Amino acid sequence: MNHSQTTVSRRNLLLGTGALGLSGILAGCVGGGSGGGSQNGGGGGGITFQNSIQDTSPRAALEHLVSEYDDGDVTMNSVATEQFRAQLTNYLRSNNPPDVLTWYAGSVARNYAREGLLLDVSSLWEGDGACANFSDALRSLSSDDDGNQIFVPTQYYWWSVFYKKSAFEEWGVEPPSTWDEFHALCEDLSGQGVIPLANGIGPTPWMASGWFDYLNLRINGPEYHRELLAGEHSFTDQEVVDVMEEYGRLIPYFDPNMTSYDNQEAVTPMANNEAAMYLVGAFVTEYFPEDQRDDLDFFSVPVINDSVPTAEEAPTDGYFAAARGNNHEETLAFLDYMASAESQETFIEMSDSGYLPTSPDVDTSDFSPLVQKGIQLLEETEEITQFFNRDGSDALQATADDALTRFLAEPESLTQILEDWQRAAEGTFD
Amino acid sequence: MTTTTTSSRPARAPQVRRRRRPARSPWLHVAMVPLSLLWISPIVFVGFVSIRSFDDIAARGIGALPTSISFEGFITAFEGGGLWRALGNSIAVTAGGVFLSLALSAVAAYALSRFEIPLRKTILLTMLAGNLLPPQILLVPVSAITDSLGIYDTLFALTIVQVGFGIGFYTFVLYGFMRNLPDEVFEAARIDGAGAGKIFWAIVLPLSRPSMAALGALSTTWIFNDLIWAMTVLRTEDKFPITAQLLNMMGGFGSSWNVIAAGALVAAIPTAVVFFIFQKQFVSGLLVGTDK
Repeated sequence: MNHSQTTVSRRNLLLGTGALGLSGILAGCVGGGSGGGSQNGGGGGGITFQNSIQDTSPRAALEHLVSEYDDGDVTMNSVATEQFRAQLTNYLRSNNPPDVLTWYAGSVARNYAREGLLLDVSSLWEGDGACANFSDALRSLSSDDDGNQIFVPTQYYWWSVFYKKSAFEEWGVEPPSTWDEFHALCEDLSGQGVIPLANGIGPTPWMASGWFDYLNLRINGPEYHRELLAGEHSFTDQEVVDVMEEYGRLIPYFDPNMTSYDNQEAVTPMANNEAAMYLVGAFVTEYFPEDQRDDLDFFSVPVINDSVPTAEEAPTDGYFAAARGNNHEETLAFLDYMASAESQETFIEMSDSGYLPTSPDVDTSDFSPLVQKGIQLLEETEEITQFFNRDGSDALQATADDALTRFLAEPESLTQILEDWQRAAEGTFD
Repeated sequence: MTTTTTSSRPARAPQVRRRRRPARSPWLHVAMVPLSLLWISPIVFVGFVSIRSFDDIAARGIGALPTSISFEGFITAFEGGGLWRALGNSIAVTAGGVFLSLALSAVAAYALSRFEIPLRKTILLTMLAGNLLPPQILLVPVSAITDSLGIYDTLFALTIVQVGFGIGFYTFVLYGFMRNLPDEVFEAARIDGAGAGKIFWAIVLPLSRPSMAALGALSTTWIFNDLIWAMTVLRTEDKFPITAQLLNMMGGFGSSWNVIAAGALVAAIPTAVVFFIFQKQFVSGLLVGTDK
């Protein structure tokens, strides 16, 4: 008894000593590591570039661009998107904010500008600044309430219905050009045992807004859509009811597993030719196995009501700068570099994703056929919208997530859902 | 004669023992084996994901069994994900945080339990009450305070925050433990001429070793696994602990699940090591306060 106890404690002692020694060694390593880190951050002059881009290829592209920048010292920090979103206000309000930040154009940037947190970048939009030739749509998207530019858009991407060319051939179907053909196609695919529409609204419920946006754009038009998201109409309007009824007609075509998938997993059935089409942003190409990416093609959601202007969703990304930053000159120089046609071209080629350049001076001839087609789509459309959360707000997006996932689960309680949605939405407009 | 009996004994002994002992019921194992397998399955699942290539996951779904082994995930996690640096940061914060918080708690608990400090119950309850607040409501204040102190975005700030949040609970536990130390020991020490400091160092600390070890083991996992404070006070990627670095591996649009799984496995190793070394203390740590 006594004997066994001593052996146990001796073993524990040895283990404990070992652990102490190990932690000592590791702590030693850390001292060196963190010392190097703080040197980087504290280097006098120079600017900090805080970004939310974590996807492998786009991130590598950004790192490349930053490393090629010679005119100043730029420290790049990549932070997960959700953390970035949560911390953005803190970043901008901090006494020593990051100088340049990635984020979205439109109402989000405008709200920060209203609080005086964003640096005026209008100098880039005039004379021979990098943004001087950008389209008027981008200019107004990047302006604050007083008409000063506070945002530097560098790329956008488009939303469309993506499909695999080889799979469509196998099933003997063609992309539809009218809304009735679209329904007939879904019916046909269902008959062949294929899931017509992929989606992933489990961990990413905002994906349900993609179809809502497009149906609203096609039925009520972009003007009504923007006004609705700005709180000028009610979600209980007959117009919204029409949209939801059309949405309801699509429910049987969706992947029955969509509530357990996220937007990335939703691609797996498509990769296996078990699902056919996916209304999603061009970033979807990154989700596919590499050997299937060239097989991807897309078509725009067909016209439903031909009396409203055509519109496509093209969320615009780019940079803004903190007004409290202490190195405005270098900040502007860096933004000018990032927005230049050459930088945009490098970024798009390296990022291996469906990004489109905002600069008209970018030579697009080397881009993939898919990206070329995307550029054409946005050139031909009459109006461009962002996405639900960017045309509205993140708070409004949460109300949409709730309402739309409920609707997809129990479409028969539409009236109740729309009333709840309106009530929740009103809370976000105050 | 005697030799034969002694030599035959060992051969017979096991038989006798087996017969005498009542047969163990197999039901414990019948129930526990599947249960442990079920419990281990998520870890096995993560292990499977970590050794598959991205293309394989994209093509066959995340739940499929691996058909080939690829170390793409681990390589990317270490090269692109900065896992070493993040592990180093985590260990630095954990080591500093655990040591400081236990040291301060021990001193505080000693003072509160052994001296007639006015309002000591109130002090103790106030310290504990701080722990009952959900940390979420303190995120913005903590971020603003560290910013105004000029320590925002430093590992020092993260360590201080961890110490601040741990100290209330640790003091409470140690207080309970130290209060129950026999008075005779203290009297004897005082008669021998030991002062308050000497008593603390030579008597209280050694006697409190079991509860200190239990708290040390628990706080190590708590601090190492913390994400919320790291996100609140840190901004620079170079300073992120491993939990925040894992979150960083999640892309804005898509994620390479094999890389994340590989990173998660690596992140679990230090806490697993601590757990296996201090198993006993973990169990007693969970029972802290129940033996009254």
